[in-house]
Amino acid sequence: MFRSLKKSLIATTLGAALAMTGTVVQAEKLGIGATASAEEIAGWDIDIRPDGKGLPKGQGSVEEGEALYEQFCSTCHGLFGEGEGRWPVLAGGQDTLTEERPTKTVGSYWPYASTLYDYIRRAMPFTAPRSLSDEQVYHITAYVLYLNEIVEEDFVLDQDSLATIKMPNQDGFFVDPRPDVQNTRCMKNCADPKQLHIAGTLRGITPVGHFVEGADAPAASHEAQMEQESLKEKVRKASIRGEEVSAGGHGAAAALSDKAVAGKPTYEGACKVCHGSGLTGSPKVGDSDAWQPRIKQGMATMVGHAIKGFSGETGVMPPKGGRVDLSDKQVEEAVAYMVESSQ
Amino acid sequence: MSNIIKGPSTRELMAQMAAEADQLSIRDRRDFLRKGIAAVGGMAATTMAGGAIAKEVNTANLPPNEPAWGKQLGHGVVENPYGHPSEYEKHVVRRTVPWLTADSIASISMTPLQDLKGIITPNGLVFERYHGGVPQIPMEEHRLIIHGLVERPIIFTMEDLMRFPSVSQIKFIECPANGGMEWKGAQMEALQFTHGMLSCCEWTGVPLKVLLEEAGVKPEGKWILAEGADGSHMSRSIPLEKALEDTLVVYAQNGERLRPEQGYPLRLLNPGWEGNTSIKWLRRLEVGDKPWYHREETSKYTDLMPDGRARKFTFVQETNSVITSPCPENPIVKSGFLEIEGIAWSGRGRIKQVDISFDGGVSWVPANLKGLVLDKALTRFSLVTKWDGQPWLLQSRAIDETGYVQPTLKQLRDVRGGNSIYHKNSIHTWKVAPNGGITNVQIT
Repeated sequence: MFRSLKKSLIATTLGAALAMTGTVVQAEKLGIGATASAEEIAGWDIDIRPDGKGLPKGQGSVEEGEALYEQFCSTCHGLFGEGEGRWPVLAGGQDTLTEERPTKTVGSYWPYASTLYDYIRRAMPFTAPRSLSDEQVYHITAYVLYLNEIVEEDFVLDQDSLATIKMPNQDGFFVDPRPDVQNTRCMKNCADPKQLHIAGTLRGITPVGHFVEGADAPAASHEAQMEQESLKEKVRKASIRGEEVSAGGHGAAAALSDKAVAGKPTYEGACKVCHGSGLTGSPKVGDSDAWQPRIKQGMATMVGHAIKGFSGETGVMPPKGGRVDLSDKQVEEAVAYMVESSQ
Repeated sequence: MSNIIKGPSTRELMAQMAAEADQLSIRDRRDFLRKGIAAVGGMAATTMAGGAIAKEVNTANLPPNEPAWGKQLGHGVVENPYGHPSEYEKHVVRRTVPWLTADSIASISMTPLQDLKGIITPNGLVFERYHGGVPQIPMEEHRLIIHGLVERPIIFTMEDLMRFPSVSQIKFIECPANGGMEWKGAQMEALQFTHGMLSCCEWTGVPLKVLLEEAGVKPEGKWILAEGADGSHMSRSIPLEKALEDTLVVYAQNGERLRPEQGYPLRLLNPGWEGNTSIKWLRRLEVGDKPWYHREETSKYTDLMPDGRARKFTFVQETNSVITSPCPENPIVKSGFLEIEGIAWSGRGRIKQVDISFDGGVSWVPANLKGLVLDKALTRFSLVTKWDGQPWLLQSRAIDETGYVQPTLKQLRDVRGGNSIYHKNSIHTWKVAPNGGITNVQIT
């Protein structure tokens, strides 16, 4: 009797203590994680708000922005912000938002200029994010605003003036009102069968690789996908006929020189964006026809063009593809990789 | 195939067929080869209804014969220290629509919903969406900083985060662009492309509320900026109410650490909300008093209306459903008994009911929900019926616990027009041909 009472007393006390501890822990927090220092936060705190909060010191001009834009941005976004291939169009498109095919650009759609500075600083240029200085971002932001006729040629963009810019579509946004559509759970005679119009699929734009055994559809365009499937078909049929056909393309990887092998990571990280797909008139890796005339000029010429930049018949190669952080040696190795993969 | 075809006459016939097929367009050629292969391979393969190709069968492995694998030994343990699917399941992969995006680094791939069972998406098949490719981040070098309007800014190591009591929850994640290619018309002749920007996993991590309590949010704090550590430094503004309600900071999926594609070592998870708010490779959470209006919540992920104005902060993935069997990839192969199956989901809670129509929405019958019915998770539905060549217009219509009924495409278009890109959750229609083949159609 006494023992059991003692037991239950202990249990009660223990329970109370646990409950108390639980409360105390909640109030006092778990104490996990170190206090972040101002320096640690400053290095990562890159966000900008429409009211200008977060903007660093510095200023930018349209004139200096133009040169930087041509070097870092025009390959994808076009010299006038018109966009190359499927890369984003940056300028124009005003008054198209109600049209059948609206063009949503910085000038026609974006509500705040701060977003431009924030985005360029956090993610651009696409192949080398966080490589621009705060000052360079001011210059480029000023130039893109100029391309959109939002600021004049002599405008000076800085941490005070940026928040004062009123974008054309600033008032074009409103908070999500959904649920906006009311359907009801009708079970019978919910529609007139005679009024049902059945529209089939628009043909020819479904990626065809989906239906090819083992295809993982890595092609950069619908056309390329068709090519790829066509090649696979040839190989497959040849095997049925008992013939031997090379699958072509990158089968020669084993034969790459040491230099080319060393250049592969640079290619993957810097060159592939354009040379992987043939974007903006660049010779596509693996496309022997496109590379042959260039290869004939010799490695020294090709490497020189890649390092210093070059304007050709089909497109513009910016110096080091816009990746000025790359060493000459890295560029040379990457050229070797592309050449040897496209013989 | 080649190991099955042995007779020279068959080989010749195949060669002739292949040569003839050369003269045809790719689409016609595919149909031609399918039919042709079935005809030639009478002894090895059979045409099935719906144009499906039956897999070639080696009759030597069928009863009464002892099959080859019964007369030898297989490989031993740790031949594959991390296992992989059967070699006969190689077609079950993520696929992309290459012309959707400019390159594969900032792009999307889709989950093969047509091949999956139950409600859990295997980790290797969870759809991918990157804005700057997949970073490879060593766990020891990853940090999460919480700062801004907080009493104590904190920097967490992964070790720190895993000391917090963990929770595990099954939640779907869906890109708001899922189905977005079909606002103006049916385009995709495959379930994987019409609905595959959708996956569902068991996620393990710490409620964001717990971490915010640790830092102590100041009374002015109303919004949180979440930011990734990858090259795109993807960022989204999240209202504090959501963060305190059910947002998780996640480090594991389906029992193992996150895949790099899903944010290894750390990601945010906003259950029921558009996938892009669940920032991957999460490195920073800043508490502020206003939203930031960054690129991915202004230029992108805003919904343009017919009047030229756009909706912002369209977070919720509204109630949706689709029939996964039959579907274009899974045609009906035999007359008679048929189980119609599909998935339903709602960003507002649980699925309460799913109905099925065989006549394009004129009349409806209730389907059954099977397996787990969870909050903001995929829910599987089923209806057992018979098919004898009827030309069905198959549809599913989901209703969630808030009473919201999945709308028709016409209802959505009447309000939103054809340029809003995101949040197309309308009732989907599969047309069943008399031979059991399935095509994607829209009823207007």
